[in-house]
Amino acid sequence: MLKLIKEVLKVGEATLPYPFEPIEQMPGFRGKPHHDPERCIACAACAIACPPNALTITTDFDRGFQTWSLFMGRCIYCGRCEEVCPTGAITLSPDFELAVMNKQDLYERADYKLVSCQICGLYFAPLKEIEYVFELLRQKDMPEEALAGMRSRLETCPECRRKNDVPKVVNLYREEV
Amino acid sequence: MFGDFRNDQMVKEHSKYAIQVDEQAGQLKAALLKDIQRSIFVYRVDCGGCNGCEIEIFAALTPLFDVERFGIKVVSSPRHADVLVYTGSMTRSMRVPALRAYHAAPDPKICVAYGACGCSGGIFHDLYCVWGGADKFIPVDVYIPGCPPTPAATIYGFAMALGILGQKMKATHHIQGEEERALPCHPRVPVELRVDIERESRRMAGYLYGKQIAEKFLDSFESDPKHVKRTIQSYLDQQDDPRLTEIMTRLLQVHQTHQGEE
Repeated sequence: MLKLIKEVLKVGEATLPYPFEPIEQMPGFRGKPHHDPERCIACAACAIACPPNALTITTDFDRGFQTWSLFMGRCIYCGRCEEVCPTGAITLSPDFELAVMNKQDLYERADYKLVSCQICGLYFAPLKEIEYVFELLRQKDMPEEALAGMRSRLETCPECRRKNDVPKVVNLYREEV
Repeated sequence: MFGDFRNDQMVKEHSKYAIQVDEQAGQLKAALLKDIQRSIFVYRVDCGGCNGCEIEIFAALTPLFDVERFGIKVVSSPRHADVLVYTGSMTRSMRVPALRAYHAAPDPKICVAYGACGCSGGIFHDLYCVWGGADKFIPVDVYIPGCPPTPAATIYGFAMALGILGQKMKATHHIQGEEERALPCHPRVPVELRVDIERESRRMAGYLYGKQIAEKFLDSFESDPKHVKRTIQSYLDQQDDPRLTEIMTRLLQVHQTHQGEE
């Protein structure tokens, strides 16, 4: 008996004190995806990458809104969203205390405005995404007048752009002939 | 996004069998949820998961996490249980056993949806035989998401069900502000160099680690573009990781070719 007690004292306590003290997480632990809504450009890359469709993007063309939504109850914490995010808006935090009493608390949503086309006036792309592309072009040292031209081009929907471009191309071809 | 409509008709038809908690049982349950003064017995119902959740539940029973110190004990019959833990997505063929387990447990009982599949169907949510999470039929009190939830998350979920700890998660809804803009990362790095660094790093280390390594490289480039090599070298000496050294050396080469072009 004494021998056993000695042995036990030597080994010490293996049980972790959690939940009375915080638990130490290993580096690289993938917990709750943290979404920084200010940095998000609503490009939907994460929604396409998400294997269980926990991340979804719904577009309301009438009101001109794009809603990013994450349902934590379906998330499998694979980190694909973090991998594909071009602006680093999503990172997997070490936060694991996600249990809830009410299912609605598992939802995270963010609304982003859409841009309406300069020609047809229909909503077609998120404003922040267009701004992001514009900033990228500026970073590539595009001259200011070219940027201004690009602005109207970026704010035209693909359909109208196609309609606009075809006559130009035809004219070019005629001039050459 | 996709599969939710596939079984809608069938699920709708069966949803009328979804259990409604009657008033008396509801009151008892509320009292039970409010202050449980005794040990609780847990029965697991696996409705068709991958057994990852089971492994984590048993990991929570090991001496390292030891849920039995809170009086939580896994029992082998729903007739002994206070808490029913539903793991796995609700499959067509397991719906009846799941309901039988629910009815076999004495009132008041707490139902826990465990894991991503138990909460919502998880990654299997759009399978032909999956009808969603446990809450399609069973009145769920606590949702423990995770794929699978770690033993610590399991303990947290149970502690929440027992009223020891409070809920941390809150539903959030952000609405884009007037002047809200997202700028590209690393504005002081030339775009071509940034793209090449990121691409090479991804090629060598994969998406996740590649991104982290490229981030590290670009950060040191931004803080001091002239002495990137030196900063990186001291970082590598600190880390002492041959794989990282290999990748960083390659990134430095990419950086050098860009300098040569200029």
